[in-house]
Amino acid sequence: MKYSYYSGCSLHTTAKEFNISTQVIMKELGVELEELKDWSCCGGSIAGGVSHDMGMALAARNVVLAQNQNLDLVASCSGCYNKSAKAAKALEDPKERAKITAVLEDMGMEVSDNNIKVKNIVDVLINDIDYTGKIKHPLTGLKVACYYGCLMTRPDDITGWDSPLYPMSMDKLSEICGAEAVDFRAKTKCCGGPILVHQKEVAYELTKALLDEAKSLNADCIVLACPLCATNLEIRQKEIEKYYNVSYNLPIVYITELIGLALGISPQTLGMNKHVLSVKAVIDKVKNNPLVAA
Amino acid sequence: MPTKAEKTTARKKRLKSFFSIDRDRQVDGDTINNKLLNEIVAEGGASASIAACMQCGSCTGGCPNADKMDIPPRSLILMIQRGEWDKVLQSKTLWLCSSCYTCTSRCPRGVKPSDVIEAAKALAIREGIKNDSVKFNTIFVDLIKERGILFEPELMYKYGGLKEVIDQAPLGIKLTLTGKMSPFPEKVKDPKSFKKALEKIEKVSKK
Ligand code: SF4
Ligand code: SF4
Repeated sequence: MKYSYYSGCSLHTTAKEFNISTQVIMKELGVELEELKDWSCCGGSIAGGVSHDMGMALAARNVVLAQNQNLDLVASCSGCYNKSAKAAKALEDPKERAKITAVLEDMGMEVSDNNIKVKNIVDVLINDIDYTGKIKHPLTGLKVACYYGCLMTRPDDITGWDSPLYPMSMDKLSEICGAEAVDFRAKTKCCGGPILVHQKEVAYELTKALLDEAKSLNADCIVLACPLCATNLEIRQKEIEKYYNVSYNLPIVYITELIGLALGISPQTLGMNKHVLSVKAVIDKVKNNPLVAA
Repeated sequence: MPTKAEKTTARKKRLKSFFSIDRDRQVDGDTINNKLLNEIVAEGGASASIAACMQCGSCTGGCPNADKMDIPPRSLILMIQRGEWDKVLQSKTLWLCSSCYTCTSRCPRGVKPSDVIEAAKALAIREGIKNDSVKFNTIFVDLIKERGILFEPELMYKYGGLKEVIDQAPLGIKLTLTGKMSPFPEKVKDPKSFKKALEKIEKVSKK
């Protein structure tokens, strides 16, 4: 099994551990990832709101690179995945395709007719791979709140592989790992990612609601697959605690790290030492798992 | 064989009907303002379906930011149907929307309020509206145009100035220590033609 792999801007900076853990577990599972050659930013949720054509051209550029490599595209970041999937759909529309082609040709690129699929890493893990038999270190006793956010499963005319409002893929992936997935009602409620800088207080409030619920469910950590959600939930958790005078101390873990642990890969190899907010509590709980020691 | 005139009438009839609502009439009997509608559609908004909005409020009901908005999504769609651009343009809603697509998932009529709002944002920016959100969004896009790959510290500096950098210094140190912040931003292979191609889009849309 082989895919082209689009890491994206965040996975090269604030979410390095997501990039590392994706590559490490895919290798372990025998899946080959071929990095997109000369990828660029997908424009995120921002570019399309400045200019539709600009947003489309930016996102389509990576899809076209994947087409030229003639491999289905997998992105770990929910945002990169979402925008790429949107662009792949736009490329099927003659009007959008003509506009996109003109821009990409100006960049010196060729738009091919190769037909490829755009997938999120969670989609690949749940639908294309079966790692049930490869669990070496079951995460028994670990309670996780799986947070999907917005862009992994919405809008469903471009995603369509899980429910837009109450998805279960990551819950199932966690359960295969032996962890217990709590019934996280807020799993697709927005964290305020795209407005986190210029509408700070609004984003704080949205993120707080998520932390509150995860905490009330006694989750040991939140599991996710979006670096922008992690910026709010993890990198800003201390700020939010200060702003509301509360304490969460809730580790945030990428789904690929969780699976890596269950596959018996060391936290260090998965890049888990790179978290801004320590994930030691999760690692300790897993390490002291009596089932494994036995 | 139908005559040409008959064919045209049949086509017009088809156009008028979407979800069996006349395209030029919506719930309270106002006339759809096609000028604004067409501009929104050209900017990526959801074509004929805007006219099909039945004002059910499912979008507002699911919107995580509706309580902060001066015009919730349902009302905003109504204003766009009526062509009340000035109200839309001044609305805080455009900048409070976090592009979460909940409205679009819930809408029973395929209106895609999220995409309509995204289009309205682009039109508002082109019209020269100024606020912090516009500042952030335009700096974001300008930086991508420069190198093709976003370098967050630069974005924060350009947006918030030195103050933001100092405020965020402890975090910056942490990111550097964990090897997440390299002093050398990455870029695409040919930033020059990358930028030029994107600037050309802007020139076309400004016309
Ligand atoms: S959910 Fe759709 S039909 Fe209902 S008010 Fe919103 S846009 Fe209109
Ligand atoms: S996309 Fe915007 S308007 Fe729609 S529900 Fe989300 S925040 Fe509200």
